[in-house]
Amino acid sequence: MSNPLWNVTKFEFIRQIKKPSFWATIILIPAMIVGMFVISMLVSNGNHATEPTIDENTKIAITDEAGILPKTYPVLTEDTKDEGINKIINGDFDLYFYIPADFATAKKVDFYHISEGLELFNMDGQAIKSILNQVVSVKYPELDVVALTGSFEVTDNKLTKTGEESSAIGRAVIPITILVVYFFFVTLFGGRLLMTVVEEKENRISEMILTSVSTKHLIVGKIFSAMLLGLIQIATLIVPLIVMVIIYKDNEVVSMVLSQIEIDPITIITNLALLVFSIFLATGLLTYIGTITPTAKDASQFIGPVIIGVVFPLYFTSAFLASEPSGFVYFLTYFPLSAPTALMLRSAFGTLTTPELIIGLAEITILSVLVIKITVRSFQRNAINFNLALPKFKKK
Amino acid sequence: MKNIVEIKNFQMKFGNKTVIKDLSFEVKAGEIFGLLGANGSGKTTTLRALLGFYEPTGGELLIDGKKYDPEDTNVTIGYLPEERGLYKKETVLDNMVYFGELKGLKDPKGWSEKYLKRVKLEDKANEKLEKLSGGQQQKVQLGVTIMNDPKLLILDEPTKGFDPMNRRLLMEIIEEAHKKGAAIIMITHYMDEVEKLCDRAILLKNGVAEAYGTIAEIKKSHKNKSLEQIFIDVYGGEDE
Repeated sequence: MSNPLWNVTKFEFIRQIKKPSFWATIILIPAMIVGMFVISMLVSNGNHATEPTIDENTKIAITDEAGILPKTYPVLTEDTKDEGINKIINGDFDLYFYIPADFATAKKVDFYHISEGLELFNMDGQAIKSILNQVVSVKYPELDVVALTGSFEVTDNKLTKTGEESSAIGRAVIPITILVVYFFFVTLFGGRLLMTVVEEKENRISEMILTSVSTKHLIVGKIFSAMLLGLIQIATLIVPLIVMVIIYKDNEVVSMVLSQIEIDPITIITNLALLVFSIFLATGLLTYIGTITPTAKDASQFIGPVIIGVVFPLYFTSAFLASEPSGFVYFLTYFPLSAPTALMLRSAFGTLTTPELIIGLAEITILSVLVIKITVRSFQRNAINFNLALPKFKKK
Repeated sequence: MKNIVEIKNFQMKFGNKTVIKDLSFEVKAGEIFGLLGANGSGKTTTLRALLGFYEPTGGELLIDGKKYDPEDTNVTIGYLPEERGLYKKETVLDNMVYFGELKGLKDPKGWSEKYLKRVKLEDKANEKLEKLSGGQQQKVQLGVTIMNDPKLLILDEPTKGFDPMNRRLLMEIIEEAHKKGAAIIMITHYMDEVEKLCDRAILLKNGVAEAYGTIAEIKKSHKNKSLEQIFIDVYGGEDE
């Protein structure tokens, strides 16, 4: 049984994968985008302290169950470990050290603080001791801290404001991967999709084809084919990544990252839903542009602005790292063109609340359905309007 | 005879410009029907509204008693528009197979190969369409138009730009379709073609029918003048 939607999808898919330019861009452009992303992360890391900020207002506390510090040590607290952690969550403490009773044998100290965003790696013991030194020397210059910074291990425990232990990189891996797929999809296939729509008009195909297939099936089939091409793109990213992981599985960094990846079904499902509807929204918008522009040349000038709109939040990654989102971040979160990227960034950085996610997802879903409906209608109207100079007819 | 096309009180406006004031006519199953008029008289607009490209300002345009739906398999249509084209970057065979699949052919590849052999283009099957000459592309377009054995063949200026050989091929195709019982609507400026091929015709001017009926009836109502003379008399030598 012939299915028009399947026929359009198959035809559009096969004609794209036959093109050498498809395989060239599928490899080159992701490499460029990954480069941009890495540079952006490096710049943001340079500007954004991944270590807690230290000044004279920093509230520090130490529970010393081992009794190794002098009783006069000013930052000592009588709080138990759990009370100390709660005070970190409530904001009563900024930094909290817990020296266990078995310190003499274990030689371990726990360090707690609120995660400031996407710290890629936990701080090592030396960095934490350095923080302690700074705090103590700022607030209590008379104290000798050498005794405290002796030869022992310190474990960095990052907490979220809800009190969960925060494995920033583990939490971010899946949302960031989905975000990267979204970027690749829009940059690689959005433009192609737009061009295939314009081609129908430019080559005078639309009038012939629309007597054989409905506008809805033609447009949705084109979008589906672009999504299938996107799956090939994902495979070209994921397969080499898996191979690299298998090869370097014994590498310290790789094994540390792998051990921290959080596989949370809800995060995966919500981010995938976000990806699918974001793709519908972006491709619907680009297809709409294709329906109202007469030639490929006219259409091509719109691709850049749409991609800039999608990528725009990435330029402000450091703003998204802040645990308290600014008004500008909220604006980007709900502005239609930037919303998908902003929502995915905030999901990755752990600053997106459940109500915000639901509102954002609903907004993108509703907009994507509306944009596709408008696009189908616009194509029906303009499919044979080859120069778009004719006045639009009035609907009864 | 059953009507395959019914157009009732059709009106069409683009902004403030009225293209069709009030137009009614029928096309009967199995007949060849001429849709005539000067440039801008509303012929193409009427066909496009019939095929659902334009929403009519008023009236009804029906094919086989229904508003046209391209995916309704009960009504097979072949349409050769005035503005015609195919996917230039794809091969001849890929173009034909795609359209064949969309038109619901059981074996689009087999049909296309057979047709290409008939029009002596079998060696071009795997060439990109853009590599073919204009005349060869026209043959492919004709194939796409008739591949689903249509009940209704709509040809908008079919011989426009055709070389004599392709014009002859087109005439053969029209005759074959006619013999199989297809109704054919033809827009043309060649009155000799109309006199030779058409059973009935309608002549449009200013969005209304100036003449409508069998060719003999139209001639009789205009003092048995030739169709070309009637056309010139109606328009006074001017385009609309």
